[in-house]
Amino acid sequence: MNRRIFIASSLASLGLTACGPVKEGLTNGPFRGALLSAENLNHAVFGTHGTAREYADADVDRDFRVNGLDTPSDSRYAGLAKAQFAEYRLAVDGLVDRPQQFTLAQLRAAGDRTQITRHDCVEGWSAIGKWRGTPLARVLAMAQPKANARYCVFHCFDVDQSGTPYYESLDLHQAAHPQTLLALDLNDKPLDADHGAPVRLRVPTQLGYKSAKWVSRIELVAGYENIGSGSGGYWEDQGYEWYAGI
Amino acid sequence: MSGERVYRHGVAERVTHWLWALAMLVLVMSGLQIFNAAPYLDASDKSNPQRRVLAIDAEMRNGVPVGTTRVFGLTFNTTHLLGYTNDGMNGESPRAFPAWLTLPGPQDLADGRRWHLFFAWALFVALVVYLISAAMRGTLRELVLRPSDLPKLLPMQAYYFRLRREPPPHGTYNPLQKAAYTVVLFVFFPLIIVTGLALSPGVDAAMPWLTPLLGGRQFARAWHFVLMALLVGYFATHMVLVLSTGLWNNMVSMITGWYRLKDHDGVGP
Repeated sequence: MNRRIFIASSLASLGLTACGPVKEGLTNGPFRGALLSAENLNHAVFGTHGTAREYADADVDRDFRVNGLDTPSDSRYAGLAKAQFAEYRLAVDGLVDRPQQFTLAQLRAAGDRTQITRHDCVEGWSAIGKWRGTPLARVLAMAQPKANARYCVFHCFDVDQSGTPYYESLDLHQAAHPQTLLALDLNDKPLDADHGAPVRLRVPTQLGYKSAKWVSRIELVAGYENIGSGSGGYWEDQGYEWYAGI
Repeated sequence: MSGERVYRHGVAERVTHWLWALAMLVLVMSGLQIFNAAPYLDASDKSNPQRRVLAIDAEMRNGVPVGTTRVFGLTFNTTHLLGYTNDGMNGESPRAFPAWLTLPGPQDLADGRRWHLFFAWALFVALVVYLISAAMRGTLRELVLRPSDLPKLLPMQAYYFRLRREPPPHGTYNPLQKAAYTVVLFVFFPLIIVTGLALSPGVDAAMPWLTPLLGGRQFARAWHFVLMALLVGYFATHMVLVLSTGLWNNMVSMITGWYRLKDHDGVGP
């Protein structure tokens, strides 16, 4: 029995990984198109309705795991961090009527919400954190998005080893979710550099990679095809789903 | 009656049977790809090593890499099989399941997820079409366990163990087959779909009662894995029985629909 499974799966793996034309067909051909259609189906069926479960103080992971990239190596970021982000400004621009430059104090003053929610990583692990910050909707409202704005794109301070900048995006429906925060504090302390200081996105209704760290600018756009490799985010450009609610 | 050919499986049933067989294979293999990114299971809502029920890991012992599998606190050396395994590049690396078991490549979480989520829909649609078609043709009632089958379960098992010369009289499917098909179709499949949905943050927000019902997010992941193992166990048993009860006749019937009756085979429910 085991041998049958072994042979069948070896053939499958071999066929799919070693055989050039087959692999090409599976990764770029109509099969790829079909695979991507499942993402739209998931988005349509599961969407971003409802609110993520909120927890009690006792459930919080005080030592919240750091994942992915840690403190940005960017020199602009290092300079800002050295001065405790006194010179930091969050830009909100693009398709808006009133472009904004928020200081951290102005961001805090724009609104305040605390949520204790679970962070589900695409890798499979989960952690619970206490996040405090400003609902993204408030910040966007102050900039007054134009009628043709459909997405907000979060540009971040970080670049990976090959120099590719980190970015993420949400559509305005997801951005308006009451739990979608621009987080400033984690577990009752200002965010540290590893967790995304001074401002990170927090989207508890989607997988963790949507919650971009080190946000420097929010750009409102009609489409994200011309940003990065065009898939709507750093991880999306590496093949992950844009809709990360599943 | 023995030797007579009967039309047993309708077109929709045969097509969907093979479709969900394919979907299951891809789902298991892409699921192991996803599992490899966090190769442990916790009976908890958040990740919690204190409540870890399974961990597949690699460590160095006396300068030699060793694959370990820890189940309910018991540790086994599983080098080459689990933990420290084939990496698909002519060598071995710390990875829970070997490269030849993970789709679509040795290490590809992004595409593994895409394949998994696509074939989950394929399995769901195939199952629904199969159930509707079988119910409409009346074949579903032939394979569902009924109260009147319960007293026949032990005698049938006794026949399998060669403790009895004759099986109890039965219809199209014997009582043990009915029990297996009923459990797989109406318990395992719905549960593996529900536990899969519970892993999605979007579904958690839309149906906040679901994940706590399963013991939490990580617990739901553990149930999803256990159900996968049960379905693989069912598949193995299914293969043994297909092979031992006449591979040719079984395959022909699942391809053309026509089945040649054997001794003891009845027709009807």
